[in-house]
Amino acid sequence: MDFRDGAHNLYHIIVASLHIGKLRYLAVVIESEEAHQTSKVIKLLQWLDSVGVKNVCLYDMNGVLKKSKDTIFQIMKNAKSIEEVNEDVTHHAPDHMTLEFVSYVDGKEAVAKAANLIFVENFKRHDIGGELDHQILLESHLNQALQIVGCKGPEPDLLLVYGPVRSHLGFPPWRIRYTEIVHMGSLNFMRYGSLIKAIYNFTKVRHNYGT
Amino acid sequence: MTFLSCRFAIFCFKVASRRAAPSRSSSKRSSSSLSISWLSSPSRGTSVRKDDAPVSTGITASVPYVSRKGVSPVVECGVPMPAELREELMPKHVAVIMDGNRRWAKMRGLPPSEGHVALVPPLRMVVKLCLCWGIKVLTVFAFSTENLLRPKLEVDFLFSHFERTANSEIEAIMRERIKITVIGDTSKLPKSLQKTITIIEEKTKDNSRLHLIMAINYGGKYDIVQACKSVAKKVQDGIIHLEDINENIVEKELKTNCTELPYPDLLIRTSGELRVSNFLLWQLAYTEFFFHKKLWPDFGKDEFVEALKSFQQRQRRYGFLS
Repeated sequence: MDFRDGAHNLYHIIVASLHIGKLRYLAVVIESEEAHQTSKVIKLLQWLDSVGVKNVCLYDMNGVLKKSKDTIFQIMKNAKSIEEVNEDVTHHAPDHMTLEFVSYVDGKEAVAKAANLIFVENFKRHDIGGELDHQILLESHLNQALQIVGCKGPEPDLLLVYGPVRSHLGFPPWRIRYTEIVHMGSLNFMRYGSLIKAIYNFTKVRHNYGT
Repeated sequence: MTFLSCRFAIFCFKVASRRAAPSRSSSKRSSSSLSISWLSSPSRGTSVRKDDAPVSTGITASVPYVSRKGVSPVVECGVPMPAELREELMPKHVAVIMDGNRRWAKMRGLPPSEGHVALVPPLRMVVKLCLCWGIKVLTVFAFSTENLLRPKLEVDFLFSHFERTANSEIEAIMRERIKITVIGDTSKLPKSLQKTITIIEEKTKDNSRLHLIMAINYGGKYDIVQACKSVAKKVQDGIIHLEDINENIVEKELKTNCTELPYPDLLIRTSGELRVSNFLLWQLAYTEFFFHKKLWPDFGKDEFVEALKSFQQRQRRYGFLS
C-alpha cells in the first residue's frame, strides 16, 4: 500500500467521524474564469456528495455556472434543483443533493427588486394620494419579498471560495451574515484533502453570534 | 472505532493534508495562497524601494516627503513604512472586526470589561499606522446590533467606555486631523453617548487626513433596510420615481456613503473567526479578507503589516462582467 492509498483510507475514517449534520447548507463561490471548467465543478460536487453534503449553492459572478446547469444535472443524476424541492432544503431527507445556482443578479439587484416590490405593494394599499408608509419596511418584509422575487436559498453555514481572490465576489449580501468563509485556492489545484479539512474545521468550531 | 484510533486517524489526517496541500507560490504577487485562508502567513516578497531611496526617513515631525518621481507623499509621522510594503499598493479603505476582547479577558481570569478596555491600544496603533502609511479610511466594528443581547451590565459598561474614550481622545483626534463618523442605529444608544457622538462628528467634520468610521450598534442587514427606507422616503417626496429604483439607488443610501471610498479594499478580522458577522454585508463584495488568529488586544504592528503585505501580494478582482 503506498502513501496515497493510506491517505485515502484515512480520509474515509475522517469523513466517517464528521458531524456533517452541522453543515446544513454549503455555498461554493467560483471565480468566473475558473467556473468554465465544468468537469472540475462536477468533480467537486461528487466529492461533496460522497462526504454527505447534500445542499449546495453554486455561485459565480457572471452566471457561467447557471449556463452549465444542464450539463451538471446530466452527470449528477441524484441531484435536484432547489426550485424542484418544496420543503425547507435544510430539512429534507438526504437521499438526493439539492443544487442552487446563483449569480450577481441574485444579490444586490435582487434586494433592489425586493424593495421595489414592497414599495409597489404599499402603494396599492395606500392608493389615495399615493402615500407610501416607509416605516413598514422591516428586515422580515425584505426576507419575504426576496423569496417572492426568487431568492429562496437559506444562509449558507459555510462558503468555500475557489479562485485567486479571497473575497466572495458579490455573493448575495443578504445571505452571509454568519457564514464561515474559507478560501480554497484555485479550482485548478483543488484537493480532496483540503476540502475535507475545511469541512472538518467548520464542524468542530463553536459558533458565537455576537451575543 | 475506538477513541484512540480516531485520535490517531485525525493526527495522520492533519499530516496527510499538509502534504496534500499544493505548494505556495513564492512570487511577489502570488495568485493564490492555496491554503486554508486563516493560516495567513503571506509568502515573502522582495523589498521595495523607490530609486534605491528609502520610502520613509523616520523623521518624527510631520514633514511631507516628496518622492523623486513626484508620487503622492506619505506624511512622515515617526513610523517608517516597512521595506516589504509598497506605498502605491496600500489599500485606501481598511475595515476591521476587532474580535476576541472577551476571550482575551477570560484567558487572563479577568472580567469582560477588562477585555473591552484592552480594545483601545491596538486600535490606537492601527489608527496611527493608517495615518503614517496613507490609508484614507478605517472602518471598525465596535458594537453590533447582536451585541445588544449581551448582559446589560456589560453593554452599559461598553457604552460608557466608548463615551469616556471619545472624550479623552478628542484633542489627539483634532491634532491628527482625523474625521470621525459613527454609523449604526444610534437612536438605541444612551442619550449622553448620542450627544458625545454628535459633538465629535461636528468638531471633526472638516478633518481630512484619515476618516475613522466607528460602527456602533451596526448591522449589515440594518444598513440595507434603512437604505431601502430612505429610498422609499425619496419616492414619497417625489425625488425619485419607483421605476428608477435599482441597486445603485439603494447603494447611495447606505451609511457608508459618508465617505467617497465606501467599499473596503481589505477586511481584517482577529480571533480566528472566519465570518463577517453582519458587518458591511453590501459593501464587502470585492473586499479581500484577512483572518488572523490573534485576539484583538494582542493585535500589533507586526500583524497589521502582515495583513497589508498579504493584501499587496494578491491579484484583486473587481468582478467586472465580461
